[in-house]
Amino acid sequence: MVSPPVKWGLRVLAVGYVFFLVAWPLALLVRQTFGNGLGNLVDALGDEQVTGALQLTAMIAFWAVVINLVFGVTISILLVRYEFPGKRVLSALIDLPLSVSPVVVGLALVLAYNGRNGLVGPELEARGVQVIFDSPGMIMATCFVALPLVIREVVPVLVEVGDDQEQAARSLGANAPQTFWRITLPSIKWGVVYGVVLSLARSVGEFGAVKIVSGNITGRTQTATLVVEQKYQNFQQETAYATSFLLILVSIACLLVVAFLRPKHDS
Amino acid sequence: MSIEVSGLTKKFGDFVALDDVSVSLPTGQLTALLGPSGGGKSTLLRIIAGLDTADSGTVSIEGVDATGLPAQKRNVGFVFQHYAVFKHMTVAKNVAFGLEIRKRPKAEIAHRVEELLELVHLSQFSHRLPSQLSGGQRQRMALARALAVEPSVLLLDEPFGALDAKVRKELRDWLRRLHDEVHVTTVFVTHDQEEALEVADEIVVINEGRVEQVGSPDQLYDEPANDFVMGFLGEVTTLGGVVLRPHDIEVALQPGLAGAVRGTVTRVLRVGFEVRVTVRTGDGDPTAVSAQASPETTVVLTRTHARQLGLDAGTQVWLTPASGATTVSSMAPAGRRAAVTSGV
Repeated sequence: MVSPPVKWGLRVLAVGYVFFLVAWPLALLVRQTFGNGLGNLVDALGDEQVTGALQLTAMIAFWAVVINLVFGVTISILLVRYEFPGKRVLSALIDLPLSVSPVVVGLALVLAYNGRNGLVGPELEARGVQVIFDSPGMIMATCFVALPLVIREVVPVLVEVGDDQEQAARSLGANAPQTFWRITLPSIKWGVVYGVVLSLARSVGEFGAVKIVSGNITGRTQTATLVVEQKYQNFQQETAYATSFLLILVSIACLLVVAFLRPKHDS
Repeated sequence: MSIEVSGLTKKFGDFVALDDVSVSLPTGQLTALLGPSGGGKSTLLRIIAGLDTADSGTVSIEGVDATGLPAQKRNVGFVFQHYAVFKHMTVAKNVAFGLEIRKRPKAEIAHRVEELLELVHLSQFSHRLPSQLSGGQRQRMALARALAVEPSVLLLDEPFGALDAKVRKELRDWLRRLHDEVHVTTVFVTHDQEEALEVADEIVVINEGRVEQVGSPDQLYDEPANDFVMGFLGEVTTLGGVVLRPHDIEVALQPGLAGAVRGTVTRVLRVGFEVRVTVRTGDGDPTAVSAQASPETTVVLTRTHARQLGLDAGTQVWLTPASGATTVSSMAPAGRRAAVTSGV
């Protein structure tokens, strides 16, 4: 048993820590946004640079999530259900994006895919596909940083579910695609949804890698987070706050979805 | 012959799970694969089902060579020890799964599911989720699911292993009755000799990846091929170089019969209606005791008989195998037995 004074001490410490680090600064930001009513928000939404950036962010986050969903589930099944040489290396590589700084990721992608002296960049550009300083590169950078999120959610669920049900389905005549759609996917559903929500939040908030890969071209390759930075540096703090507020809204929506899903996922 | 297995070998790394196994399982019968855990019986069943592949050897089901066929094309029903229910589907949907995969008409599926749920006494649970069923109910559902596709053989891997003793006994009787009704060729794996003796028409005893003996329960019990089969099907003890059942030993207070082994009672234990007497036979006449035989023999008597003889610790007795007792020489396979013990 922990004595009451210690218990209270720990509570105050934990609540205080989260308050001063997270809640208070975010509250200030929200207050700044609504400092003069809805004005800032209306101004921001009337600014083509902001709306364009929001649309770009939505587009990039969408594709990054879709790609990570498909590859994430496939790689998870590969890692859990099959034995192959190099499996441990693959598993370690998947965690790399969590430990490497996004700025480094951006630089690496530029090096590999740029149109002048990249490995495949010139070849692609000759065929009319521009990767760096355009959406493909931005989607790649976002995929890279969000890669582990789906996999790390789905792998434990796959392990826990086991392959009994899949074997039963096989013995009842189901082929591989039927087994996947009817048995595997429904049993890992909540893990997948949780992974997607985390990926979405991460993709929307990505800054460093995207900044380097996109070239930060105003009105063309600028995502919402890049706009926030630029507006802030150009002394348009109100617009920066308002755009930040919109990004916070997305994060809160994601957290709410997770909060609603989590109990079902556990049962 | 419904299932014909020949020359199956399967290794997991250095461990030999199956060592050149050949066996024929007859059509329409209920066959038990019996043996200790890790003996290879589940591996054999999974290879027959196509859930595992053998390193070498062939499997044919109903005259068709199934060795290279994937599980979904073998038309076998498989029931798993831990049920393997589809957790996200209702009981009715679980049972309908195989039929839906086969794209049967909706009305036919509904009718067949209803029929099968009736058969396994789960009609009133058709709209429940498996998590709302007990272990025994889940296994009955799994059985109905496997039967739905009208498999040419039904394979059950320790089907009652995860259930408590009472439910296990009920389901065992029920499986026997079900088989008498449905007549599908059924093979089930068990390590419980009582289960095998009670339910099966034929028993295949498997140990260390090899088939020790195939036969009816009576054949196995009365004419065991070796001391392993004898020991696995019931309690055994050794007396004068032979392995026999403890209740097949006659106890006398005087040296009467030829070949009687003299010994001293060291312990008398009363369990319910029977009395278990431990007799040390090593110290008396050394010529009467074989070198390999254990110097201790266990004898089981009825309570009344033990009282008549007045047995107690220290009593001198003469032991002889009862006439008609099933005995196996403990000398021939002794080397192998020693290997078994040292291996474990």
